[in-house]
Amino acid sequence: MLALLGLLVGAIIAIVVHPTVSQEMSRYVALAVVAAIDSSLGGVRAYLEHTFNDRIFVLAFLSNAAVAIALVWVGDQLNADLTTAIVVVLGVRIFQNVAAIRRRVFGG
Amino acid sequence: MTYVERLRRPSLALATVLAVLGFLLVTAVSTARASKRVEAPRKTQLIKLIENRRSSVDDLDQAVKQLQKQVAAAQTRANRRSRSDASAAAKLAQLSLAAGTTAVEGRGLVVRLADSDRQPPAGDDDGAYRIHDSDVQLVINALFAAGAEAVSVNGSRIVATTPIRSAGDTIVVNFRPVTPPYSVVAIGANAEQFGASEIAGRFHRWVSLFGLGFSVRQEGKVSVPAFTGRVAITSADPAEQSTAPAPTPAPGGGR
Repeated sequence: MLALLGLLVGAIIAIVVHPTVSQEMSRYVALAVVAAIDSSLGGVRAYLEHTFNDRIFVLAFLSNAAVAIALVWVGDQLNADLTTAIVVVLGVRIFQNVAAIRRRVFGG
Repeated sequence: MTYVERLRRPSLALATVLAVLGFLLVTAVSTARASKRVEAPRKTQLIKLIENRRSSVDDLDQAVKQLQKQVAAAQTRANRRSRSDASAAAKLAQLSLAAGTTAVEGRGLVVRLADSDRQPPAGDDDGAYRIHDSDVQLVINALFAAGAEAVSVNGSRIVATTPIRSAGDTIVVNFRPVTPPYSVVAIGANAEQFGASEIAGRFHRWVSLFGLGFSVRQEGKVSVPAFTGRVAITSADPAEQSTAPAPTPAPGGGR
């Protein structure tokens, strides 16, 4: 309950504060969001598999986002488009997590 | 602590992390929307800007023509006052006729050049089916060689400093884009002489080979407008050693 409340509070803060992100930074934010979505789904999956540990979840969440941002930055420095690589990997993981959650919830 | 107990325990860290997620989500979405909002109207703005500038160039062209008419009228008035003025005015009229800053009319040729209406066969070079800047240049040169005294392309006067070049698929004359079909008006050009020129012969071949549009018409009275661009020469001075009279400027920018 508190966790969902936290999500809501964060969203409301963003709406109220209305932070402006520059054009270059918006890519990093988008990647961080994708990484965060991936780790939240991983958290839900762990919860359903009864292996959820909030400390691991928080660590995974932060490190995933940090690694994603760092990789994009490295890609920018090397002039290689690592963004696509990250999006593909995270996308595959998101689908896997969703599939696992579905199996848990609906069985099969 | 059992598993269920741990689930019930409200985790502040979890809530904080999810708050960060919510914050990031909303920020990313609003940023993406904002950048889309900024980009969409830019294209229409640019198109509008180009159209505005084009119409203002046309307006200024009209203004230049108007002012040239006024100058000519003032010169004829001044002309009547004294003999020295009259000789100066006559000289000026002659010079502006040569420079191309007066509209002129007379007997001449109208050469029409058009892109082919045939579909270029697959694998064939489609460049052969279009009129290029060099075609226009060669036709103008041949017309000057055939005795043309004043030439215009689609209403743009050719003077000594006129560039004819291409920008992408568009031919640019006097820094203004011209669109096909190209109508080259040449006052004083001799039809036989032009017909005997190399480029005319080549075009006759191309008409049957590629279906290019090429026609030459002799007319009793055609008009060529005045040059409306900048004619003042400010940086170039005559070289001091030259004792020979200045040669007449090469026609069509000497291309």
